[in-house]
Amino acid sequence: MLVVGAGLAGQRAALEAVHAGRRVAVLTKLHPLRSHSGAAQGGINAAMGPQDSVHDHVYDTVKGSDYLADQDAVEILCRQAGPTVIEMEHFGTVFNRASDGTLDRRAFGGASYNRTIFAADRTGLALLQALFEEITREERLRIYEEYFALRLVVRDGRVQGVVALNRKTGTVEGFSAPAVVMATGPFGRMYSRTTNSHASTGDGCALAYRAGALLKDLEMVQFHPTALPGSGILITEGARGEGGILKNARGERFMERYAPHAKDLASRDVVSRSIATEVAEGRGFPDGTCHLELMHLGREKVETKLQEIVDFCRSFAGVDPVTQPIPVYPAQHYMMGGISTNPRGEATIPGLYAAGEAACVSVHGANRLGANSLLETLVFGKIAGANAAEHASRASPAEVTAGEVEEATRELHSLWDRKEGESPAALRTALQTLMDRNVGIFRSPGPLNEALAEIRRLKERYQHCHVADPSTVYNINLTDALELGHLLDLAEVVVRAALDRTESRGAHVRLDFPKRDDVHWLKHTLARWTPQGPELSYLPVTITEYTPKERSY
Amino acid sequence: MVEVPLEIYRKSPQDAAPHYDRFQIEVEEHTPVLTVLLKVRDEIDPTLSLRYSCRQAICGSCAMRINGKSRLACRTPVGPEVRLRGRIRIDPMGNQPVLRDLVVDQKPFWDRYYAVKPYLIPDPAHPLPEGRESPMSPEQVEQFRETPRCISCASCYSACPAIASDPSFLGPMALAKLYRFAVDPRDGGYTQRLQAVQNQGLWLCLRCNLCVEACPKDVRPAERIVDLKWMANQELGAREPGSRHAIRFASNLTEGGLLNERRLAVDTLGLGGSLRQLPKAIAMMRKGRSLRRHPPIQGLNEVQAIYQALDRPEDLAHRERQKGADVKGPRPPLPPKATTQSAPPPSKGGSP
Ligand SMILES: Cc1cc2nc3c(=O)[nH]c(=O)nc-3n(C[C@H](O)[C@H](O)[C@H](O)COP(=O)(O)OP(=O)(O)OC[C@H]3O[C@@H](n4cnc5c(N)ncnc54)[C@H](O)[C@@H]3O)c2cc1C
Ligand code: SF4
Ligand code: SF4
Ligand code: FES
Repeated sequence: MLVVGAGLAGQRAALEAVHAGRRVAVLTKLHPLRSHSGAAQGGINAAMGPQDSVHDHVYDTVKGSDYLADQDAVEILCRQAGPTVIEMEHFGTVFNRASDGTLDRRAFGGASYNRTIFAADRTGLALLQALFEEITREERLRIYEEYFALRLVVRDGRVQGVVALNRKTGTVEGFSAPAVVMATGPFGRMYSRTTNSHASTGDGCALAYRAGALLKDLEMVQFHPTALPGSGILITEGARGEGGILKNARGERFMERYAPHAKDLASRDVVSRSIATEVAEGRGFPDGTCHLELMHLGREKVETKLQEIVDFCRSFAGVDPVTQPIPVYPAQHYMMGGISTNPRGEATIPGLYAAGEAACVSVHGANRLGANSLLETLVFGKIAGANAAEHASRASPAEVTAGEVEEATRELHSLWDRKEGESPAALRTALQTLMDRNVGIFRSPGPLNEALAEIRRLKERYQHCHVADPSTVYNINLTDALELGHLLDLAEVVVRAALDRTESRGAHVRLDFPKRDDVHWLKHTLARWTPQGPELSYLPVTITEYTPKERSY
Repeated sequence: MVEVPLEIYRKSPQDAAPHYDRFQIEVEEHTPVLTVLLKVRDEIDPTLSLRYSCRQAICGSCAMRINGKSRLACRTPVGPEVRLRGRIRIDPMGNQPVLRDLVVDQKPFWDRYYAVKPYLIPDPAHPLPEGRESPMSPEQVEQFRETPRCISCASCYSACPAIASDPSFLGPMALAKLYRFAVDPRDGGYTQRLQAVQNQGLWLCLRCNLCVEACPKDVRPAERIVDLKWMANQELGAREPGSRHAIRFASNLTEGGLLNERRLAVDTLGLGGSLRQLPKAIAMMRKGRSLRRHPPIQGLNEVQAIYQALDRPEDLAHRERQKGADVKGPRPPLPPKATTQSAPPPSKGGSP
């Protein structure tokens, strides 16, 4: 079987499938250790503290999701959290320890207890290394490094495999497999103000969508409250967990007003909106930011517990957080939506599975809690890997035919061989500025409609864009153009779904519909590709124990 | 704002020889080199090829030589470089063949990483506790020192002169990785790991410290290599030329204050081994090098004092802790474990 993507989700899926006895090929456009998972700083949630319980973790997650999460899936997530963290520890992750030798835990937004296990402020890197090092033992797992998936092949109503471009040689190759796990990560690069890496372009989501799979809840875009202006580099919530506080230009600790109880540690959506409101109402600093202060924590604490942040601020913003406040503004951070799957990791095409940020199970609903997504990549990566392996063992052989490889090659060349046209870079910048401006934290029909029309124009212009680089070797001009194509398709769905959902829930805030509307909108948005654009339908939310009530922090 | 004159190394697989392309770009002082390179791609020449992803010094993609030094492009601001040299010259990393422009083939780097078995080797005497985390104190976490910070960017590898001179040298990153596993209280491969590197070029490091200077994450590979040498001597004794050389070098100096190269050779290589070095000795003598024993130098006591200071008890205690003797207890010999780097053959169009 085949896994596309070698971040935490893809690697975990692959490992599980190998354990189940399958031979597994993993395609990844970057070396596995270069995956975006490595950038996660804050930590991974597991209710392992003495007072904490799985039940509390489920409740916090469901409440955080603004009741759009499927509660059966959340239960799986939280129940598996402890065993998952232990397993990663046994794989070699070097977590921080408390003085009694057990795993240390820190506070994180939206959680009732200190629940976040961490490795300094490089938890993602620590997990990614340990998992990768674990899979290097496996002989039946082969990683195709720097292979760019071009197309998901679906024939006879089932998955047949993937066609991919070898980035080092420029050759197009077919990989036949009766089961494919898409674990290609997020698509934050449709915004310019984003915490995501340059490679976070939603390739797998777009390929699955084009092949007929349904996407779920794409309108749910999380903004992280504290990113450095300009670069979008994230200052982890851990900074506030350790006692950092937000202030406006008047020196007010404004979170006391918006969330009297949780204050600076309120859920992400709440904090992002608060900062944006402060700035919009003229209480921000002249550069359009608010300040995050760590100075009162003392050099020792800041430099030991928040090493990476100190380093970021000093090298990317010219600010020393030990003595100076850090300017911050919200930036796109996490995509709650993705390829629609059930809690078994199955997408809507037989043989297609998805996991990690590319998938939407949904455990995050309308708003993900910090440190729940690393957990999701591992828990549902494992589940999707196991079920895909099982499917592959039962399914009749699949085949990507020579004709299908040729067709994908021809399509690639129709883009590549064009002799003139606009540069993809210009179109990408246009898309990103549009999304920043019109599809941000606060949404209303005017800007959304304008964005939709503009995206359609950009898609039209994309049909005539020009890849200037003719080389077959490491042609990033070509892959940039392909990625842009994916982002355009997905951006159209984001905007369509955001227009459609006439309520405010979690990260989705409609100025014209400021209230949550459980009567009409306690449901997921599904999108299907059609030549005319996305066609929307709906899916009820699975509710087991927790009936929706108003969220307050 | 600062005007940045850029010289970028360009080579396509068809080109016989590389050349430099020159660009001029105006940006703010603290702008990272990566941002400037992406600006060149977006606005001037889209055919420039390089690796990058996170733009925040964590994915390890963007290492290259910037004004001759191996660095991450995303965390090297242009201002100081321009002030220093009047221009910024960008070359691909060293010690790895160039595929195109700034993109190198990292196989030599990754092969060395795989060679150190970068995963936990089970310790039958101390199995991992079922259903719970292995107990590990904050002090034990400290023993990993800086190694968990490594982002595999290969800057150190690019800068290391020992790799160019001896391809069997594992190089700074792989040895730092080895150290990370050697001090891990969960790992059962301590002796086996040290044995493997003692003969595999642990002693080929030139101690030039270029890797320390190149490392963006302050992993300090050269220091970890010194630690490993010490650990290897403690665990295995000075049983092969590299460690014997190091130890005799010191005793040689504390005895007379000057190197006695003849005795050093005999002590390091044994009589037979040093006889094989005879041609070299003759060549040295021809060039006027004396291999006689020197009388003790003046101020020998100062040399001895320096060595004594270097062996301060607190240093020794620190190294003892690093060795992790208090953590691990005695280690039974381990069965050999197959490395698993080989993969099934590519299955083009087949059924993976
Ligand atoms: C700055 C930052 C900090 C974060 N901090 C936290 C945190 O503290 N706690 C937490 O729980 N979550 C955190 N998150 C979120 C979390 O890191 C991500 O949701 C998670 O790592 C996603 O993992 P993934 O495996 O789904 O995808 P990724 O790690 O993004 O991996 C995607 C993989 O897909 C491959 N790929 C993509 N496209 C293709 C293609 N066309 N062909 C082949 N391969 C392809 C890539 O090479 C890569 O290997 C953070 C996110 C960011 C941006
Ligand atoms: S100190 Fe040793 S490992 Fe480091 S660069 Fe010099 S020779 Fe290489
Ligand atoms: S040791 Fe430092 S320079 Fe070397 S690969 Fe690791 S992070 Fe890069
Ligand atoms: S781009 Fe990731 S380390 Fe520089």
